[in-house]
Amino acid sequence: MIHRRAFMKSGALALFATGFGGLPNFIASAASGQKILQPYKKNKVMVCIFQRGAMDGLMAVSPYADPNLKILRPGLYMSPLEKEGGLFNLDDHFGLHPAMASLQPFFADKRMAIVHGVGSPNNTRSHFDAQDYMEAGTPFNKGTASGWLNRVAGLMGHDATPFRAVSLTNALPRSFYGDNEALAISNLQDFAIQMRNNPMAGKTVSQSFEDLYDQTSSSLLNKTGKESFDAMKMLNVNELKNYQPAKDVVYPQTALGNSLKQIAVLIKMQVGLELAFAESGGWDTHVNQGTTNGAFARNLKDFSDSIAAFWKDLSAYQDEVTVMTMTEFGRTAHQNGTGGTDHGRASCLFVLGNDVQGGKVYQNIKSLAKEDLEDKRDLPVSTDFRAVFSNVAQSHLKLQNSKGLFPDWNGKPLDLMRG
Amino acid sequence: MNPKRMLRTFTVGAGFTLLFAFTQAHQQGGNAKIKMPYKKAGLNTRQAAAHLLSRFSFGARPGEVDALAAMGLEEWLEQQLAGGLNDSAANERLKSMNTLQLSNETIANTYLTPPQVLRLAVRNKLVVRDSVKGQDKPEYREQIRQLMVQQGLKPFVELQTQLINQKIIRAAYGANQLHEVLTDFWFNHFNVSLTKPQCQQFILTFERDAIRPNVTGNFKDMLVATAKHPAMLEYLDNASSISDNNALAKNPRRIQQQQNLNKALEARMGDSSMKNNAIAQQLVNAKRVQGLNENYAREVMELHTLGVDGGYTQKDVTEVARALTGWAVKPLLDDGPGKRLLDKTNLDQMQKRGFVLENDFIFRADKHDEGEKWILGKRFDGKGGYQEGMEVLDMLSRQKATAKFISKKLATRFVSDQPSDALVQKMADRFLKTDGNIKEVLITMVESVEFWQTDALREKIKSPFELVISAVRSTNADLKQPFQVFNWCSRMGQRFYYYQAPTGFPDKASFWINTGSLLNRMNFGLAFATGKIPGISINLLALNQNHEPESAEAALKTYSQLLLPERNQEENIKRLTAMLADKSVADKIEAASAKHPGEASMEETDAMSTNKNLNNRQQQKNDRNAMNRKDKPFTMAYQNGNNNTVSQVAGVIIGSPEFQRK
Repeated sequence: MIHRRAFMKSGALALFATGFGGLPNFIASAASGQKILQPYKKNKVMVCIFQRGAMDGLMAVSPYADPNLKILRPGLYMSPLEKEGGLFNLDDHFGLHPAMASLQPFFADKRMAIVHGVGSPNNTRSHFDAQDYMEAGTPFNKGTASGWLNRVAGLMGHDATPFRAVSLTNALPRSFYGDNEALAISNLQDFAIQMRNNPMAGKTVSQSFEDLYDQTSSSLLNKTGKESFDAMKMLNVNELKNYQPAKDVVYPQTALGNSLKQIAVLIKMQVGLELAFAESGGWDTHVNQGTTNGAFARNLKDFSDSIAAFWKDLSAYQDEVTVMTMTEFGRTAHQNGTGGTDHGRASCLFVLGNDVQGGKVYQNIKSLAKEDLEDKRDLPVSTDFRAVFSNVAQSHLKLQNSKGLFPDWNGKPLDLMRG
Repeated sequence: MNPKRMLRTFTVGAGFTLLFAFTQAHQQGGNAKIKMPYKKAGLNTRQAAAHLLSRFSFGARPGEVDALAAMGLEEWLEQQLAGGLNDSAANERLKSMNTLQLSNETIANTYLTPPQVLRLAVRNKLVVRDSVKGQDKPEYREQIRQLMVQQGLKPFVELQTQLINQKIIRAAYGANQLHEVLTDFWFNHFNVSLTKPQCQQFILTFERDAIRPNVTGNFKDMLVATAKHPAMLEYLDNASSISDNNALAKNPRRIQQQQNLNKALEARMGDSSMKNNAIAQQLVNAKRVQGLNENYAREVMELHTLGVDGGYTQKDVTEVARALTGWAVKPLLDDGPGKRLLDKTNLDQMQKRGFVLENDFIFRADKHDEGEKWILGKRFDGKGGYQEGMEVLDMLSRQKATAKFISKKLATRFVSDQPSDALVQKMADRFLKTDGNIKEVLITMVESVEFWQTDALREKIKSPFELVISAVRSTNADLKQPFQVFNWCSRMGQRFYYYQAPTGFPDKASFWINTGSLLNRMNFGLAFATGKIPGISINLLALNQNHEPESAEAALKTYSQLLLPERNQEENIKRLTAMLADKSVADKIEAASAKHPGEASMEETDAMSTNKNLNNRQQQKNDRNAMNRKDKPFTMAYQNGNNNTVSQVAGVIIGSPEFQRK
């Protein structure tokens, strides 16, 4: 943060050198900003996808070989045996849901790992609490002001561009709360001060706004204003408009597909993105969850196809990127009375990247026998989410240390990343 | 109108009359006049009026601060709490909306959601169920449109648009502003969402019947009204949470009946003509899925009453869910089997067996769990039926945790993002003492010095909706197409009626203000004030008695005072004027534009041709040079192009940090 002011000053000058955005000026300003990452150096990027609503891990990655599963969920059970619409057999115990066909090849070629039985030690079954705890990274302390991804940003050991931490959401997610700069935007094309048919007035007006936000006594408006103008100057809106994904890549026309596409743009524009966040909704399947088809399958297919499209679109950048998914908790081991599942405990998550020791389901699950379930109803948490998050972040982003990343946690990180 | 509905309407009407009479009596009954300690907090009457308007209305209209100061703040607040002011301005704009008074039953049978339209099409053999692909074909759409017109059916989107528009219109033009603000607040507290298909048809009536009549009334009444409303019953799945742990379900005769029905149904399903019958399908599905669902039970404690730290356990959640089994929506679909069954049933007999029918709520005694329950340490013997659920809600509404949770939420909305514990405690005490009388709690709040202290002034950040509506109100703008407001709110992060989670939108500045949304707030200010939002017209000169300010500085001063009454804007005006008049800034802009003619703005995409664009740009540059020579830097910057100085100044003010605060 030492050189941030200096960077921002040069950033402000850049406005007058090129108008809005324009990479050449950014490079100039970055070069003068010393410790800022060289933009033409490919950054390591960690992309987090939060599945809000609690994904049913037992259906996405199903322990079909456990005889209890069929008894607990007669209406939701699937096996690899069915010819069509059956599970992909992963390791003779777990099977991948058929809607994840587009990601299955990445598991097969060992670039995708699955962690099962993962969750938080806090047994709240409230979505909002559990998301809060997971995003803050402190399962027993609600008062933690910062989010875990914001703390990751603080551990990077180098200065940032305004695009280091970007969330493709309308509002800043809890994971990004904190002292390090992070921005939220659902549509990158909105990133400009717009004066219809009058670009010159737009520039003056933009300058007026910048000055007003610089003076305001509200610290939130002041800080956010600075970040907004810094970011706006760096982003070349024209490049966004004309973006063409890599050959044969088609993103699903969904919120997640659209978010991941924009993350791909930011990565390729090399504006300094290192932490990206996207959301996927609709996982709260209390009613008529379905099996091969139905609400859950549709959602899972969108999830899977969006990530697969993103990964293919990255092409030359794949070495730099790791994708990690997360969800606040899992769902009851048994099906409920309305063809769905209620709030449970552990779920599963996916990690995709060339540094990942994939092709494996990482797990310490005992069984789904009643005596092994938490409160006799839920898959217990056998892997702390922090063991996964810390390993992926520290290894992929090459953090010098992870001190303070997860305060009050002394657990051992999982070992699923190479190197 | 059928006689049953007439009777119901009459009953509701009578209820209102009674309620009204009661409120009147309560007021006349020597209720001590409200005392607002703003002087103690160092505010003069005008400052206090501006503050009160910024929190208890969607923004001051021109001259309103003066009007308030003249009539007396206490008098204004009394009026607003009563909520009985003539609302002709809003009503005039609402009168073309034909869905606002409809019943759930009419809506469910008339305003078809996309799946209902599909079912209609299948029934009429316009599409085959298995190949729904043809739906994007224009001829299909035309056929279905004609069919719907013939049968008097309408697409759901019409209802949805009117729902959104009525909120905007009432907020912008409603005379009973506090009631509009509170309707917004309580709807968000008891959030239901258009994103959920099962409840989307009932959102309009939810706001109208469960929220709006109760916003200053008794908290428990609102809790019960929401609990029984189809929108909430469907949104949090209680309508499908059932149990067979009761005498009726265990009655052998009934089991036999049920089995016969199932057999008959299955036999009919075997008949191919029935395979495509969506209703029969649904019935079979409904039979297959039966049981307990904890969703509502959890949220009613976590979000509606006790709050997440309110001291309940997972066991309590399950027990409340059991107590509320059988709480469901009365069958509403004309061609549905449930309705046919209900029409044939003897209502007296039903009541004798413990069923309760009230408006669109039904208590299904045959689906209620009659076992013993323990909730928050209290035993329920399981014999109470419908009354058991009512007792649970009553108990929840009276908890200390509830009083505190609700008071804190109100104080957060009206005072600051972090209200003091002392204020919250005062309000919570009042809540408990008055059995959850919301009006009394609000009075306690404004009678506290914390409401008026300087650290509360301008400390709340407007939500996008509040921002847009306050812009409309402060400029007397005419919303010919209110839906535009919704589009802008969505871009700024508040797609109202669509918040998916039962939490509702978080009420804190950091949720609304972030890098992306902030730029959109500035862009909104500019688009709004320069008249670039279709269907919204404003006359800024009329605000200033058609007098055009003689200089940019004068424009800034005049419009700052008009749009932000009682705010100290001197520093901003001074610095902005200085900056705008800084010739070096103008020169830099000039240099930049000369070097990079291609950069322009993204808005050019909608210009007609590149050539024309280039010409325009050249023209603008010439203009600017001409201006430069005349050495009028501020007007140079603001007058070139299509927009005049006043609208751009107003745009900057509306997009400024000060206007984001309330």
